[in-house]
Formats: sequence, structure tokens, C-alpha cells
Amino acid sequence: MKNLRRLKNFLTGQEAEEDKKEEISEDIQTPEIVEETSDRTEETIETSPAVEENAELEPVKEEEPETEELEPEITVEEEIIEEDVPEEKEEPKKEVEVVEEAEKPKTKGSVNMSLLNREENLVSPEDVDNTFKQDIMDAGADTVALCYQCGTCTGSCPSGKRTPYRIRSIIRKSLMGLRNEVLTDDTIWECVTCYACQERCPRGVAIVDVVKIIRNMQSHAGRMAQAHKMTGSFVLKTGHGVPINDATMALRKRVGLNELPPTTHEYPEALEEVRSILKKTGFDTLIGYNWETGEIE
Amino acid sequence: MADFAYFLGCIMNNRYPGIEKSSRVMFEKFGITLNDMEGASCCPAPGVFGSFDKTSWLSIAARNITIAEDMGMDIMTECNGCFGTLFETNHELHGDEEAKTKVNEILAEVGREYKGDIKVRHFAEILYNDIGLDKIAEAVTKPLDNLNVAVHYGCHFLRPTADVQIDNAEKPTILDEIVETTGAKSIDYRDKMQCCGAGGGVRSRDIDVALDFTRDKLTNMTAAGADVIVNVCPFCHLQFDVGQTEIKKKLGDEFQIPVFHLAQFLGLAMGYSPEDLTVDAHQICVDPALEKCSLEELEKLDEITGGE
Repeated sequence: MKNLRRLKNFLTGQEAEEDKKEEISEDIQTPEIVEETSDRTEETIETSPAVEENAELEPVKEEEPETEELEPEITVEEEIIEEDVPEEKEEPKKEVEVVEEAEKPKTKGSVNMSLLNREENLVSPEDVDNTFKQDIMDAGADTVALCYQCGTCTGSCPSGKRTPYRIRSIIRKSLMGLRNEVLTDDTIWECVTCYACQERCPRGVAIVDVVKIIRNMQSHAGRMAQAHKMTGSFVLKTGHGVPINDATMALRKRVGLNELPPTTHEYPEALEEVRSILKKTGFDTLIGYNWETGEIE
Repeated sequence: MADFAYFLGCIMNNRYPGIEKSSRVMFEKFGITLNDMEGASCCPAPGVFGSFDKTSWLSIAARNITIAEDMGMDIMTECNGCFGTLFETNHELHGDEEAKTKVNEILAEVGREYKGDIKVRHFAEILYNDIGLDKIAEAVTKPLDNLNVAVHYGCHFLRPTADVQIDNAEKPTILDEIVETTGAKSIDYRDKMQCCGAGGGVRSRDIDVALDFTRDKLTNMTAAGADVIVNVCPFCHLQFDVGQTEIKKKLGDEFQIPVFHLAQFLGLAMGYSPEDLTVDAHQICVDPALEKCSLEELEKLDEITGGE
């Protein structure tokens, strides 16, 4: 009997109660947000898209010199994410709440979640490129099509915990064919390629491959960070992304190793091989490497 | 036991040569010769090359693999980044004829051909599977009994599990077991499996985000009472060692947890001098750890403090 009652409760009473609770809490939250958003609507419309994009990336960076403020802001974000991981529509809301607490300028996320700016936020047929998904699949990540948007990836993502990077959203947009939006989204570069998402994906999507494919597409469209190009140029110059320096040569000597490691550093003809390969693949042109000056153009 | 083609990479040999020194001496002792891969280059860096242009990434990695193929030996690397690049390239070219043909067309330019007849292996996995815990424990001459170790696995040593198959990437034990052969205690801490923050090109592109990861890890390690960090990747090593000074400068938080690559840590337990391990050149002073694990030093301290 006990079991039966428990089962009954489980199927009816308890669950119904929880549902109610959830509904109530949603009811409470919703007006707040609508208010919030409508308050700021005008100001956000005025900003140009470029500024908006910056604003989205800025929060963490901006805080950097002010040591004390960075800590609380991140903690707040962490807590919210931990509580809300499984809930689909929470994502933009999170940002709204964080922004509220820290009294930050409006982020793009809060505009997106509003139906008040229908025109701005509607996806229209001209935004959709039906070949985009196929391009990603052809580049080696055919599993991308299996995604059912559970959000385990973003919930597992240590980068999403501290930056605006939302891998679930990027996968969704990719499947929808929003080529332009995905290929201009800088947050893709916040991925540390740790595979936390991919390890847990219940659909077996090769998520890190998708990230790298999107990054390859962005790079070939010229969207590369200067610091990354520099690493590339070091390889073209020396064969090493982190070349040797005087201090390490002295250390090597001290412990009885050759001053130069037996790599491209010691074998100039091997360095020529590396250079020939990277010329052949067009890597030098891609990063704008000038062979005469040895600099990035 | 089989000998290996020893892949150096960049950060180990060009920044922390004590890791290389310790490995060479240790493996000789275990009866394994580490042979130089003459003319090898950067693996290449997965964060930049993998992100910018997959074909370039595969081709440079494949060239490195062909050097070991010519030597007829499996590759050993002790960097997670190099392991990720070389292992994944080997794995991909093995299973994808089209990619292999494409890469070989490029390698033909320099008279090389990728065949796919060697394995790419990680230093720690060779220690565990080929040498074995018993033999490592036997080689310990200076037990590190008093140390609490926060092991940092990093990302590309075990992941993606589906391809790598070394240990369970959610709850591995391989490194903890190796560390404990020295008598030290490997402690649990929150988010142990989290990235150090350096990977994927994030360190060079967005240092503040990278350091935020690192600070998280350091905070959790400190809370669990860690005396030292032991890692298996020179890039994670650098991120913890240099990162602690950067965090102090930028955010004011001071952790001062000494950082050891597993090769240095085992070297210490096998009686190699700290100078040979080049731990004296680390940004974060390792003396507190050395003092805690060394009886001599403890006696010296006793002289100064009168046993207090």
C-alpha cells in the first residue's frame, strides 16, 4: 500500500505540486524581465550592431583591472548556471539577471529574449543558408545533425561558466543555417577544447570538431586574432610555436643537455621542410606572413 | 622493452628542460632508450593550427610522425597538446583514406610519405602500462611521504575517450596511482578534471579568461590542502607556474603552490637534484615542497628554529 501511495503521489500529487511551483516561479520572474527589457529597449536599439557585439563580450574583460568586482560577478553567474542548467529557455534570462546585479549596460542576450523587438529578432528566410549545416558535416562533423538541444554541453562547459560562449546555441544556429551569425560570433574562440561537452553528449556529437570547423571557416574569412597569427609566424620562422631563448639555452647547458634541442632548431634543412609544407597548404598566405620581413602584414 | 622515438615539442625543451632531463635519465634507468627525432618541429600547436587550417595542422603533424616511422619506433611525448595533435592526426589518417591521400600529396613536396605504421603514446601511460607501478616504486630512493599532491590531468591526455582509451576521463586514477608510488598522497579536490584554462588558443587570445580558469583550480586545490601540483603537460605546467604570478599581478590573489611535471616529481623521488630538474628556475618557488619532503631540510629548519 505504501508503495502504491508513493507511486500515486509521484504520478499525481507531488508532481502536480512541483509543476505548480515551477509555474509560479516563472510567473514571478516573467514580468520582471519584460519590464527590464522594455525599459532599455530604446537605448539598445540605438546602439549599432558592432557596439552590441562588443558589449556582449566585454563584461568579463572590462572588469579585469578592478580586482574586487570581478569575483562577485563571476560567482553570481556560476550560481545561476548551477541552478538552472536543465532549463531550456533560461539562457538569455541568466544574462539579464547578472547584468542587473552588476548594473551593466544591456547585453544582446536580453534583447534576443524579448518578443517586443520582433523585427530585430525574427529569423527571416534570407538569414537562412540551407547549405551551412551540410558544409559542417562535409568538413568532418556529420554527427552535428544528431543534436537534440538537451543543453548538456553548455551545462558542462567551463568556458560558458565565465564567458558568453554558449555552445548549445551555436550548434542550434548552425543547424538552422544561420551562417552569417555563426561565422561572426567571436565567442567560439573562448572554447578551450577540453572535450567536457563532447564526453557527455548523449547524442555522440563531435562537438569539438564542430568548434574547430567553425573556427577554420572564420579564419579563412580573415577572422583571426593577432596573438594567434604570431604563434603561426613563429612556426614559420623557427619550426616552433614557442622557440628557444637565451635563458633556456643556459639552463639546458647547465643540466648537460645540448643548448639547442635536436629539432628544427638544430636542423635548418628540417625547418625548410616545415616551411615548404606550410607554403603548399597556403598557411603563410592565410596569416599574412611576409617572407622577406618575417612579420605579419 | 621497446625503445621510443622521443618527441620533444616546444614548451618542455624550450622552457622547462628539467622535464626532458629527468625523463631521459629515468627511462635509461628503466632500460628504455629515448631516441631523438632529428628535425622534428612544433606538433603543431592545436589551438592555432587546428583552429586556423585543418590541412596545415594534419600535414605538419604527419611530417613529425614520418620521422618516427623512418626510425621504426612508436612516439613518446610528455605534453598533452602534442599528444592530442599527434594522436588525433594518426587516428584520423589511419581511418580516412581520402585525408591520407590529401596529406601525402602535400608531404610529397618534401619527399615524405605518411604510412600509419606506428603508435603515438603518452609518457604517463607508458610509465603505467609498460614500466609498471612496482618498478617505479622500487626506483624511489627519497620517498615524498609528507606531500599532499593535487594531480592535474589536463584535457588531451585522456580525451576524447572514444579515441584515446587510456582511462575513464570523468574519474581516472592512472596519475594518482603513479604519484602515490612515491609515498605522497594524491588528494581529491573540486573540479579536478577541469581544464587549466590555457588550451584551445585561449591563453594567447584572452589571458583573463584563461587565468580565471586557473584561479578556480588553484582555489580548489588550496581548499583541499595541496602542497604541490603535479601535471603531465608542459603547457598546463606553464599555465600554473607562470599563471600564478600573472594572477598575483592582475588580481592580487597569491597562491604560491609549487608546480611539478610528473617527470620532475618522480625525478625528485628518485633522488635527482632539484637543480638537475631545473625546478629552481620555476616562477613559483618550490622550496616549501622540497623542505616538507626532505628530512635533511627539516633538520636544517630545526637548527634555525630550535625545533619549534
